[in-house]
Amino acid sequence: MSKKTMTLNLTEAEMAVLEELCDKKDLSKTVLLRQALRLYQRVEERLEKGDKLFFEDEASKEKAEIMML
Amino acid sequence: MIATAPSDVTPVWLTDRNTNELVDAELWHGIVDRNLADWEAEWIPDLQRRLKLLNQQKVERRFWPQSRHWDWRDKLREIERRLANLSFAIVAQDMTQAMMTIDLTKRARMPGHDGQHLVYIDFLEAAPWNRNDLAEEPARFGGCGLILINAAIQQSILEGFKGRIGLHSLPQANSFYANACGMTDLGQDATYENLRYFELDPDSARSFIEKGKGE
Amino acid sequence: MTFDINKTWCRNAGTREDGLDIGAGVIAADPMFTHEGGADESPEASRLALGRFINLMRRNQGLSIEALAGKADIEIGELLSLENNASHLPDVRTLYQLSEVFGVSQEKLMGLSGLTHANDDDYVEEAVRYAAKSASVEVLSEDEHAILNGLISVLSENAKHK
Repeated sequence: MSKKTMTLNLTEAEMAVLEELCDKKDLSKTVLLRQALRLYQRVEERLEKGDKLFFEDEASKEKAEIMML
Repeated sequence: MIATAPSDVTPVWLTDRNTNELVDAELWHGIVDRNLADWEAEWIPDLQRRLKLLNQQKVERRFWPQSRHWDWRDKLREIERRLANLSFAIVAQDMTQAMMTIDLTKRARMPGHDGQHLVYIDFLEAAPWNRNDLAEEPARFGGCGLILINAAIQQSILEGFKGRIGLHSLPQANSFYANACGMTDLGQDATYENLRYFELDPDSARSFIEKGKGE
Repeated sequence: MTFDINKTWCRNAGTREDGLDIGAGVIAADPMFTHEGGADESPEASRLALGRFINLMRRNQGLSIEALAGKADIEIGELLSLENNASHLPDVRTLYQLSEVFGVSQEKLMGLSGLTHANDDDYVEEAVRYAAKSASVEVLSEDEHAILNGLISVLSENAKHK
């Protein structure tokens, strides 16, 4: 599959988060951003279907809705 | 639209169980319309014929293949536009012999690896004539499962996931994933129809693709 | 980007995999053949006839919904909907299984359900006519037997239609 290249401008804070996540997940920046795009697309698809996005506390079963506007 | 041609083709070889000879085959990167046509026109009628034989032989339904309800066209339609899903098919003698879909957003559960990304195998199935769980007819081609697992591992490496893969095995395939693939059995998953969940860590993944490679 | 999988590895794979089954994935989440849908504009009358036929056949064989679902290897909910809900579009596999159990034409059951559009759809009209004569009572009456026999002959593989 052919690939396209783009330049991404990030603030220092954004770059710091990106690097921290890459370190934590042991992934390269490109891989991490591609992963983020995949997840973003998946979330958007579910929201469009009318689903809600929750985080559930495994112990208390408490759910916290993430607001997506 | 489901694609009409795979994005890439890797040459592979299957074992003809009758002659024990290798036959040329192809690993298609992407299930395409042709594969779904094979599924509809060849897999389903053959599966129904074999289910009929099982029924005639009074084989209890709980021993029938659990994947008999799968609809590959539906599965493909659901993921065709998703970046997070990829699919593969094995084609030999002008016929689809096995198919697999994978998800790139799931995470590892194995202690020491939990939270790391992996390639999760959503569905993996061989054509009815390549299976052992359907009536007494012997499987025609061997090697489909290991080749697809190899593909999943190599995709995982390509994605930067270090070869990690995970899947929920159908009950009749537990031994394949535990023994032939060397995956770690993390037990029954109550959130997933009580199927057993298996995972392969980076070291085991490396030895999986190196093992038996020859020189 | 292609993968590196050589011939020797594949030869070994063939040997290692001998006698083993390889399926992976969730079992029941996706009913089979839903892609055959899209014919929901089909007349509800013929689907009512299909539901009536299945109901009569089941009772004629003295089977409960559960027993017939078991015998035909289909979901109980699917069978319930099929008998009672004319807006329910059954899947192809369900009709295949029922045609096997009842010994009638799968093609014609598909035609009645609206999943396919038959070239010769006289039998649909005839089946609807037979079904329209039946009334829902607990035990199969003599009349119902006659209606059922009529339906069976209309839906048989070799039935001739005007």
